Amino acid sequence: MLHLEKVSCGYGNLTVVENLSLQISKGEIFALIGANGAGKSSTIMSIAGHVKVKSGKIRFKGDDITNLPITKRVRLGIAIAPEGRRLFTDMTVNENLSMGCYSLPKNRLSLNRDKVLKLFPRLDERIEQQAATLSGGEQQMLAIARALMAEPELLIIDELSLGLMPKVIDLCYRAISTLKEQGVTILLVEQNTTRALEVADRICVLESGRDVWQGTAKGAGNDPDLIKAYLGLDQE
Amino acid sequence: MLFFDLLVQGLLQGGIYALIAIGLTLVYGLLRILHVAHAGLYTLGGYIAILITNATGSFTLGITVSMVSVGFMGMVIYRLIYQPILEKPPFVALIASIGLFIAMEEIYRIVFGAYGITFADAPLQGTLNIAGIYLRHCEIGALLLAALLITSLSLFTRYSRIGIAWRATVTDPGMSQSFGVDVIKVRYLNFFIGSAMAAGAGSMVAVMNNLVEPTMGSVPSYKALAIIVLGGLGNVRGTVIAALIIGVAEAFGTIYLGNILDRDSIAFALLILVLMVKPTGLFSKG
Repeated sequence: MLHLEKVSCGYGNLTVVENLSLQISKGEIFALIGANGAGKSSTIMSIAGHVKVKSGKIRFKGDDITNLPITKRVRLGIAIAPEGRRLFTDMTVNENLSMGCYSLPKNRLSLNRDKVLKLFPRLDERIEQQAATLSGGEQQMLAIARALMAEPELLIIDELSLGLMPKVIDLCYRAISTLKEQGVTILLVEQNTTRALEVADRICVLESGRDVWQGTAKGAGNDPDLIKAYLGLDQE
Repeated sequence: MLFFDLLVQGLLQGGIYALIAIGLTLVYGLLRILHVAHAGLYTLGGYIAILITNATGSFTLGITVSMVSVGFMGMVIYRLIYQPILEKPPFVALIASIGLFIAMEEIYRIVFGAYGITFADAPLQGTLNIAGIYLRHCEIGALLLAALLITSLSLFTRYSRIGIAWRATVTDPGMSQSFGVDVIKVRYLNFFIGSAMAAGAGSMVAVMNNLVEPTMGSVPSYKALAIIVLGGLGNVRGTVIAALIIGVAEAFGTIYLGNILDRDSIAFALLILVLMVKPTGLFSKG
């Protein structure tokens, strides 16, 4: 579904990610893992069109989208729940959700809203509340729900668990599993390696803008060198 | 009775200020540009209203043509002046805007003359006695127009799809693009609406004074800046309230503080007082 071919991207003269190649298949959860500054967010923001691709190609469903305007990517089926949530804070939950659906015909609004509120019932209770007044967990739910309103074929989620309580993290990951069952392809950026390995089918480990390991999540869990060097997990 | 008379006069002036300042705060909210030349569009609105009314005898047509054509003029200014320098530091756009405003005043002087133009037969000059307060029809018209335009803008941004997208773009242009909003179109819409509202105010002031002259926008240009700072930069609701507060303060101040403060300095005295207590303005969240 998504294919990055030797992609380098960055800001101005600075190249953050170099020669990254990866392929994500339909229906899988793919996790990008790495420390702060590894280039995870830059990679996904280049897929969403916010960061300039300096060389290489990004293909989505076979089409070259490397230089496609941001506004057209959502129409192809790419939606993002970015780092820091970036909600429209002055607007209500309902208005944020309706913005998620902006690229679709009007009649999809109520149908999609019903679907995402079923996934995140907490948002239903806060539907007329201003986004800025929600808790961190509710804001993360809203960021994901807003992206889902666009009926994405590829959902990109950046730092899903960052700054959230364990209970809320559980809730968000349960939603991720439900979405996978529904056939949504998910590209997940996560510093919480344990949680990422639990849900991901495959992972890519980034370090200083280069991929140092790619393979199945199961394979990563069984590779002591990888665990020791990059994943920071406790080995039993 | 004097109290109510001053209150009504203050609200009337505040309504006019609000119509001018809304465009300024809309542009600031979206582009972080202080669009000083906006006051030049307010003057242009007055000129067009008079020219069309004199040519056709219909003020309704005059104000409509004025608002629509000045709305488009605002879009042209965005395209030709601001869009090419959006990536430059903010002072570049500010200097460009001040330069444009001065140029507009000089063009009006060359084209229409230094002494201004008047209606051949000024419309809406009759008076109405409302509970002992005498108001001219044009003053009532100005109040109604301000109320209508501000309410319409509020409904538009709250309930229409493009209006909600507009608010989203003001908050986070990048994310709104991610959901398919064409930010360039939103900017054009922003300039159209803001400029059309200023033209509406210019047209009504033209009727109330039966005069439009080249420097008509000078005082509103700096007063509108005071209003949008007072209301919290980029905050439309705050701008409307601040405009009404300044209008009323000026009406009362002229009577009770006239010996100490000039009418046009009251807005700034109020601004200084408020900024000493709340540096981000009355209604900013910052």
